[in-house]
Amino acid sequence: MTDPLADAATNRRNFLGLIGLGAAAVAGGGLLAGCSEKAGSKGVASKADKGVLPKFKAVDMVKPDIPGEGPIPQGFLSYPTNLVDAISEKPGSGGPTIKTMAPWWGPVPPGLGRNSYLDAVNAELGVQVDPSLQDGNTYFDKLSATLGARDVPDLLVAPNWEIDKIARFSDAVKALFEDLTDYLAGDAVDAYPMLASLSTGAWEYSVWGGRLYAVPFPTDGPFAWALFQRKDLMDAAGVAAPTNVDELYQAGKKLTNPGKGVWAFGSVFDMVQQAFGCPGVQNGWRKKAGGGLEHKYETEEYRQALEFTVRLYKEKLVHPDVIATKGADEKTLFNGGKILMYQDGLGAWQGMQGEQSKVTPGYNMQPVPAFGAHPGTKPVLWGSEKPIFFTFVKKGLGADRTKEILRVLNWCAAPFGTKEWELRQYGVEGKHFTRGPDGPVPTDLGRKEVAEAQFTFLGGRVPAKWKSSDTPNYVQDYINYHKASIQYLEPDLFKGIKLELPANYSKVLQPTEDKIRDVLNGRRPLSDLDQIVSEFRSGGGDEGRAFLEKALADNGR
Amino acid sequence: MSASDLTELAGPGQRGQAPDAGGGGAPAAPRPRKAKRGRRPLRTRLHRDWPLLVMTAPAAVLVVIFHYIPALGNIIAFQDYNPFLGDNPFEAFIHSDWIGFGNFQTLFEDPAFWDAVVNTLTITLFQLVFFFPLPIFLAILLNSVVSGKVRGFVQSVVYLPHFFSWVLVVTFFVQMLGGAGLLAQQLREAGLQPWDIMTNPDTFIVLVTAEGIWKDVGWGAIVFLAALSAIDQNLYEAAAADGAGRWRRLWHITLPGLRPVIVLLLILRLGDALSVGFEQYILQREAVGRQAAEVLDTFVYYNAIATQQWGLGAAAGLFKGVVGLVLILVANKLAHKLGEQGVYQKI
Repeated sequence: MTDPLADAATNRRNFLGLIGLGAAAVAGGGLLAGCSEKAGSKGVASKADKGVLPKFKAVDMVKPDIPGEGPIPQGFLSYPTNLVDAISEKPGSGGPTIKTMAPWWGPVPPGLGRNSYLDAVNAELGVQVDPSLQDGNTYFDKLSATLGARDVPDLLVAPNWEIDKIARFSDAVKALFEDLTDYLAGDAVDAYPMLASLSTGAWEYSVWGGRLYAVPFPTDGPFAWALFQRKDLMDAAGVAAPTNVDELYQAGKKLTNPGKGVWAFGSVFDMVQQAFGCPGVQNGWRKKAGGGLEHKYETEEYRQALEFTVRLYKEKLVHPDVIATKGADEKTLFNGGKILMYQDGLGAWQGMQGEQSKVTPGYNMQPVPAFGAHPGTKPVLWGSEKPIFFTFVKKGLGADRTKEILRVLNWCAAPFGTKEWELRQYGVEGKHFTRGPDGPVPTDLGRKEVAEAQFTFLGGRVPAKWKSSDTPNYVQDYINYHKASIQYLEPDLFKGIKLELPANYSKVLQPTEDKIRDVLNGRRPLSDLDQIVSEFRSGGGDEGRAFLEKALADNGR
Repeated sequence: MSASDLTELAGPGQRGQAPDAGGGGAPAAPRPRKAKRGRRPLRTRLHRDWPLLVMTAPAAVLVVIFHYIPALGNIIAFQDYNPFLGDNPFEAFIHSDWIGFGNFQTLFEDPAFWDAVVNTLTITLFQLVFFFPLPIFLAILLNSVVSGKVRGFVQSVVYLPHFFSWVLVVTFFVQMLGGAGLLAQQLREAGLQPWDIMTNPDTFIVLVTAEGIWKDVGWGAIVFLAALSAIDQNLYEAAAADGAGRWRRLWHITLPGLRPVIVLLLILRLGDALSVGFEQYILQREAVGRQAAEVLDTFVYYNAIATQQWGLGAAAGLFKGVVGLVLILVANKLAHKLGEQGVYQKI
């Protein structure tokens, strides 16, 4: 009998000696700390350089019924009968497969090789695009690992709210992505007319360190949140949409019926804060009357909003699942009529209305018109004209390849009313969609194989809302909501200034939100708010304030 | 009689030997031979052992590539690591600033870190008392079931939850015990006020332990079942012939037979004292709050990964590793003092 481990065993004493050293080193840490420094970025703020921006040139191929106004998208009340062929040349020049990564909030369609829609679009492009769609809710984890490992695909789509969370993003941009200034700045963008039609306001956000690094995907609505209601069920219960927080509370009392498994509310805290007029810029800053900035935590409005929401929680008007798990599926609860009001991005609206009107006859999802806390007061609605996504091109692919990729992006940016748009949005007629009186109706195959994250997210596009057969009233409803609410949109103090927040400030946000959640759930009394705020200030809040005040002063604002 | 003779021949290592999946095989060979073998020249030993070395090589290569080389990355615990410096990840290591023990200082000065450590240790201790023994009981119980069919069925049923993800397990508990779950709705229908199970921070430790038991008790029983099957049946017969009852046999034969495995698993669990899982806690953290649900891994996620303070995260990981190692060494030493083999043994 031989024992292969026997020899190794004799060496364990030496091994233990090494461990002893390690333990000593750790124990000595306290002593050594005297000569050590603290880690973490102190923050960077840089201003957009207008010289590198592409020259705007509108593409007027199809006239909208309702022209876009500022951040409000164009509206089309009917589907055009004659589609325009906007791009005659094939964008691809026989390069290798273009790998992409983008977030997607929905079922992931089959990948390249098993997806006839991808094949159809790729045939039109003249180059293979291989999209990798990642769960949008956990996209940050994927993105941060991808960047940290410096292993990026040819095209990377990053949502603006995830970029804000990534420390040293400007370093990452320089190290990993191609500088697009020489390809797109000024008149150079003429080679990509669809990209030239994206708004200059959106391009302004695509500048890092004075250079143009990304193609923006302009927002189709500036608001961060809306309060959605199941209007069909509220009407049936005889409850009108609330116009102040007291009515909101009364509606909650009336609609909640635990015996039937129905609670009035999902998450609503952000909307309540906006009703009370809390600031939302850069996570909640506004100018103080006497100069300087104050954070929402420090304001009376926030205290009242918190007090009000605590009452909703305490009187059990919020669905228990929403309280009990992170990321409870509020959309499903809402669709099932288990909650009747909840906050969500306006982007959720059309998809849910379209899907659910087939499942639940009479399903009517509507945003509650924006309201102030009390009769006569006005809400402050959070949001900005920041593009929803940025698309980055991998660094070092060579000029020819970069141009090929930009031509693909140009194709992906073709606006509503073009043949390219229809193929991109719906696929092939007869296969992925059929043409109804109100325009294309997706087939089951189309629903399975087509997702906007495959191509549309890549290229930006002039935002538009159009009538579709499953959401006949949507365009009018959407634009009316925006026209009524735009007066309450909070101006962005930092518009055009690229901010990378100090690490200490970024770090204090989550623990503070945890403590606020403790108050909401009734684990801590409301009176603890003062202590929470003072911990926020000393833990990095004041450092963040000084940084942001300086950024404003440096830009003369 | 012949059977007990065989037991004699196999030597004292026999009983502990069978369930030895954990790698405590070293002491099985008698000592005098080892001492002699140490004097043999390397070439002779290579000649004799090469098939064993070849068999070990793939595993060793995997360990080197996936454990030892990545472990070098721990140097970022002493850096203000910026992954975007230089032209590739290796240059990023070189160009990042050295800050000595700054990350450790930040970590140790943060009261939230110590809260997380205390939470983690409390949960470990609690589960050591209320969770660790359950698979042993279950294994003994299953082992005493005579019908193979019944045993197989029960085994499959209790193993199954191990293969569910934590998302599924937590969702299942919410659907059953949550405020809108089955239990709460039944209580409401009966006119009672449902009590707060999923969102009560005071009983959270019981809840996570219950979830863990539901998920993993069957899986944990496997290794004990294997150990039980290795106990010589003749011992039971002999003891029964000598008039020992059911409990005496359990106490004097079954438990001593399981002891090496129990001690081994206990030591390994202690080494993992600072890990109690991640998904289970991050999923329920908002429901009960940071005070109850913040464990070391979620602390690292929120304070290091989510804010990209990679150096800080590595420092926390290193701290965890060193504490785990010290605990293993201490526990192993203790096991030797108690006359057990432990995870390894010095010659």
